[in-house]
Amino acid sequence: MRCFILAALLIATPAFAANEAGKYQSVLGDCEGCHGRNLAGGVALATPFGKLVTPNITPDVATGIGTWSQEDFRKAMKQGMGKGGKPLYPAMPYVNYALMPDADVAALWTYIRTVKPVRNSVDVNQLKFPFNLRFLMRGWNLLFFKPAPFANDASKNAAWNRGEYLVEGPAHCGACHSPRNFFGADKGGLSGASLQGWWAPDLTGDGRAGLGAWSNDELVQYLQTGRNAHSLASGPMAEAVENSTSRMTDSDLNAIAVYLKDLPPGPGNGGGATGAEAQMQAGARIYQVSCAACHGGDGKGSAIFPPLAGNPIVTQSSPETLARVVLAGAKGAATVKSPTGPAMPSFAWRWNDEQVAAVLTYIRNNWRNVAPAVSADTVTKIRTSLHSAS
Amino acid sequence: MHTDARSLSRRRLLASVAAVPILAATADFFSASGRSISGQVPWSPFAGAPPRPVNPLGWYFFTPGEAAAVEAIVDRLIPADHLTPGGKDCGCAVFIDRQLAGSFGQANSLYTKAPFAVGLPIQGYQGDLTPAGRYRLGLRALADYTHGAYKKDFVQLSPAEQDAVLNGLDTGKIVLKLKPGFSTREFFELVLQNTMEGFFADPLYGGNRGMASWKMLGFPGARYDYRDHIDKHNVRYPRDPVSIYGEA
Repeated sequence: MRCFILAALLIATPAFAANEAGKYQSVLGDCEGCHGRNLAGGVALATPFGKLVTPNITPDVATGIGTWSQEDFRKAMKQGMGKGGKPLYPAMPYVNYALMPDADVAALWTYIRTVKPVRNSVDVNQLKFPFNLRFLMRGWNLLFFKPAPFANDASKNAAWNRGEYLVEGPAHCGACHSPRNFFGADKGGLSGASLQGWWAPDLTGDGRAGLGAWSNDELVQYLQTGRNAHSLASGPMAEAVENSTSRMTDSDLNAIAVYLKDLPPGPGNGGGATGAEAQMQAGARIYQVSCAACHGGDGKGSAIFPPLAGNPIVTQSSPETLARVVLAGAKGAATVKSPTGPAMPSFAWRWNDEQVAAVLTYIRNNWRNVAPAVSADTVTKIRTSLHSAS
Repeated sequence: MHTDARSLSRRRLLASVAAVPILAATADFFSASGRSISGQVPWSPFAGAPPRPVNPLGWYFFTPGEAAAVEAIVDRLIPADHLTPGGKDCGCAVFIDRQLAGSFGQANSLYTKAPFAVGLPIQGYQGDLTPAGRYRLGLRALADYTHGAYKKDFVQLSPAEQDAVLNGLDTGKIVLKLKPGFSTREFFELVLQNTMEGFFADPLYGGNRGMASWKMLGFPGARYDYRDHIDKHNVRYPRDPVSIYGEA
């Protein structure tokens, strides 16, 4: 009997290890981020081209990818072609996944096959005309998709190369953080971009808006816990931290930090507010009354509440995330290592657009923060789009 | 007799025990059941129950004559001086009007049915009139009194005459024609109490305009972080007060 158990263990262990390796690939690729915790899809992505709803990728035969072969899966991941040669929309980051070695995609396939099948029929393509014409993606691919295996840069060390692979490959950071061209293709650079009503911040070495002031350890801490001495992840980044980066290995997180910290400064945020004395004075008063209790008169926050001084979310070129957090409130990331997930209350009822603009201009230009002033018109637009989205 | 009482109480006990499950089943006795939350605290965008400030314009309960009388009264109870504006300019009459138009005026939180026994002073008003009814009756009686004594409305009296009338109400020298169980002094106490409430309550409710009383006292209002000042003893708090709505 004992021998039998031992034999069963010996047989089971390699399969278990392969499955764990595949599961880790799903963490790196953040499959759950778009396809949901159970991978059954149905998550709506608001793109500039209309609504795209993520498909069910569980092994369910009727509504998932239960009839797919490993090769079908490899082509979807690395060539953007679904089963039967149906082109995928590049909201599925196959442009990034194309860098993954076949072995890793195979491991991921092994894992995906073991996920519980869920019956969930999804109407994926709810895009506006003409973007709902799937065949157009063939042209898009010709223009913007140049698949090539990941190539090591011999002049950099192993951690840097691993970091570049993760950032540009499976972790697809640029899908949110890089500016896009007219056709929605990633222009690269990780200098920040707007999506789904949030501004994904600048990840370059810029000292004002980027990660210039962060140490490698602080960057690792942020990705692992959702917060560090500078900032607190909320919105889509909180999800990315909870589903993906907090579950990555220390060495992979360190590699990402090494690579990101080596990025040259991007175009910057456009400099400080000039001629905004009235806004600064009004903003200071509002800050004192409504913000200082948690974020501190010195803007340094506390163990729970994020600082505003030196927080890159505050000093982005676009105030989209900042205004959103003030108007609608926000929920911070909750991870195993930092489980609280503190929340910011909504101030939409309390301040009009002019007051929000004033307090944002104030926090963007106080405590050595430097960022352009925010106009009431900008806040009006953000408030309107938030209300129509929620 | 003793045996009867005991058997009765036992029967009652048994009946009430039997009633519990019936109550539970029929009257949603346990409808306020608990909700279990795990993982994270729930959160949703734009959440909040913002306070609703009263409309500062017009009268909701008082007639124009009553409003003029109450404005004159609150302006004598809290006269304008170097510390604060007067009770009228602080909105005390508006505060009282909105309260009388609302649940306070209708005594919604009190038992107001018979019997109407005369209570001890410590028990407060025991009659059948709501606060709104007491104001209506009291102000009419006050108008009757001033017309009898001065041939004028209260508001038309000189400040000295107004003070004399209020003093008479307070000390019992003047007796208004009210109702048994509702004394002139009780009427005066009611108005004085509500005037003070209007003067010191949050501006949200119509009184304490500009947070005048809080500025006078150095009361910081709805601020909630004093870490910078907790160790500064016997030093006046330097910041202006903040109202519930966030005015400063």
